[in-house]
Amino acid sequence: MKTTTMTLCASVLLVLALPVQAAGDPKAGQVKTSMCAGCHGIAGWRTAYPSVYSVPKLGGQHADYIVAALKAYKSGERSHPSMKGIAGSLSEQDMEDLAAYYASSYSGPAD
Amino acid sequence: MKKTLIILATLALGFSLPVHAKGDYEAGKAKSTACAACHGADGVSSIASFPKLAGQNRDYLYHALKDYKSGKRNNPLMAGQVQNLSDADMLDLAMYFSKQKGLTLKY
Repeated sequence: MKTTTMTLCASVLLVLALPVQAAGDPKAGQVKTSMCAGCHGIAGWRTAYPSVYSVPKLGGQHADYIVAALKAYKSGERSHPSMKGIAGSLSEQDMEDLAAYYASSYSGPAD
Repeated sequence: MKKTLIILATLALGFSLPVHAKGDYEAGKAKSTACAACHGADGVSSIASFPKLAGQNRDYLYHALKDYKSGKRNNPLMAGQVQNLSDADMLDLAMYFSKQKGLTLKY
């Protein structure tokens, strides 16, 4: 009985201690956006190559989805020359931070 | 004189061609029920792995659907969904979701 309870408690604690996913930091992400903002931060900006269409809005998008998209660009699974280059230079932590920034309502340090 | 006529005819033709078919909001709304299961009724998905569509740029959504259909963007789930969509369906859906409140431009 005691062992079962102890095991249960330990399991619960272990689960609570493990992050579901390495959480990104919106503040750290905000300072990494310089490569993104030139296209994604400009209203109506359109890609010119390889085809012409508006770049997607990122504000409010799910962080998990943004990370998945960046990883897919980096691996080449999702093909876009510019995004492959940019995502290729990002670490997994960079991706998590950027995703956390775009998903959050944090928009940078107050002046 | 003949040259002027040709120029006028060319101009008239140019004006009569739509720059880009825009899609129909109500038709898109009616067709969006299949998308709602994952992306939410109004394009605001509650599941983090499925992107929000609400407020996304119309031509980006259309482009994404076309890429899923052509296989350029390879996603088994979406490939199945778009298989039976016509070009008009994609334009309608893109129009509907782009008009919902959700995503924003963020610098």
